[in-house]
Amino acid sequence: MRYSARAEQQLGGTSGPSSGRDVLLHAHGIVKRYGRRRVLNGVDLVVRAGEVAAIVGSNGAGKSSMLKICAGLLAPDEGRVTVSGRLGYCPQNAGVMGFLTPREHFTLFGTGRGMGGRDADRRGRELASKLDWQVARGTLAKDLSGGTRQKLNVVLSALGDPDVLLLDEPYQGFDRGSYVDFWQNVWGWRDQGKAIVVVTHMLNQLDQVDHVLDLSPDKQEAGR
Amino acid sequence: MTRTLRMAEMTLRELLRRRGVLGLLLLVPLVFYLGRHDQPGQAIRFVSLGVGFAVSTAALFSAVGGREIESRLTLSGFRPRHLYLGRMIALLTAGLLISALYAVVVIVDQDVANPQAVALELVLTTLVAVPLGLLLGLAVPRDLEGSLLLISVIGAQMVIDPAKDAAKVLPFWSTREIITYAVDGAGSGSLVSGATHAVVVTALLVLASGGVMSLRLRRRTHMQFV
Repeated sequence: MRYSARAEQQLGGTSGPSSGRDVLLHAHGIVKRYGRRRVLNGVDLVVRAGEVAAIVGSNGAGKSSMLKICAGLLAPDEGRVTVSGRLGYCPQNAGVMGFLTPREHFTLFGTGRGMGGRDADRRGRELASKLDWQVARGTLAKDLSGGTRQKLNVVLSALGDPDVLLLDEPYQGFDRGSYVDFWQNVWGWRDQGKAIVVVTHMLNQLDQVDHVLDLSPDKQEAGR
Repeated sequence: MTRTLRMAEMTLRELLRRRGVLGLLLLVPLVFYLGRHDQPGQAIRFVSLGVGFAVSTAALFSAVGGREIESRLTLSGFRPRHLYLGRMIALLTAGLLISALYAVVVIVDQDVANPQAVALELVLTTLVAVPLGLLLGLAVPRDLEGSLLLISVIGAQMVIDPAKDAAKVLPFWSTREIITYAVDGAGSGSLVSGATHAVVVTALLVLASGGVMSLRLRRRTHMQFV
């Protein structure tokens, strides 16, 4: 696997050269075992404000586990995660309420972020339009296509302007145009100073990210 | 408070849109009731257990179905107590509407000495049923296991002689006590002991289910926010 000069391998070692920007996400020495299988083996990840990190690796390498650990949804066996600011997390599969409309989701998640109902609805629709999605008023989440439901997930994770965005293969089911729009959004969030971590299989994007964390077992061993 | 009420509003909206579920919620107690319609005391007891079963099942599926989104909502600023109380309020609202409906049916259809006690008994059954369903939904890995456990509880409630001491550990023991008072006009002891039992069981179930939910959605110790 070849990476561009900008991409930086971060495996069980130190962070890259400091750019003087604040570290927003620091995962240190993450170990995760499932039974006797050790999936994450002392993994480190540092993402600063205005940086995008990609997590890559084969199936079962622990990419989603790493992201869940960073989000605080899964406890590691060892290691710590320090987050500066607010977190947004987009799961790999739709974790939404099927019998609510997308706009009701905006209101619900916005309320958690301290936003008013109208404000959350407006902001949700703005974010949706940037993914080429015009939100219909009465369609329930269960009736959305797979790709549109995933757009709903992305919007919900970005609602309320979180400082750190953790996105687990968020573009599944996206058409080509939406996929391009998604990455445009990612670059836009980076320009706004957010720290973004994307689990991805799409290697053609790796030359544009700031860090690449390869969780393939051989890479983890090599990094130790 | 805003977060709790918003959670309650959305949970209730979701529940009310599940028309098939709503239909079954209404049908289950009716089937229980009609099965023993010729015996007033038994008919009221069975409709109460039907309400308890239906409301507990709704709470169970609501708790299991909400697991994924609740973890995301905690990341969005909700606390476990907002989510728990919001879900509880929504389920209690739906359950009390069903209880009220069947209270009217029973009072109109049956000759009971104390109609208010029937209404009270159905309300108490709902109060017990919601946290019972939530507890099962939070404690089991999947809804199938929860459903089987709930069927076991309701089945035991139906077959164990309520006069036995062992029956008092079952969550809906209060139904027979209060119904005896309501139908036969027995001494008020049945009402007091039944109501006390229901309140104590409700409190224990709320504590247990709230505790399990807090544990599930706790902030993991490896996380540090600065």
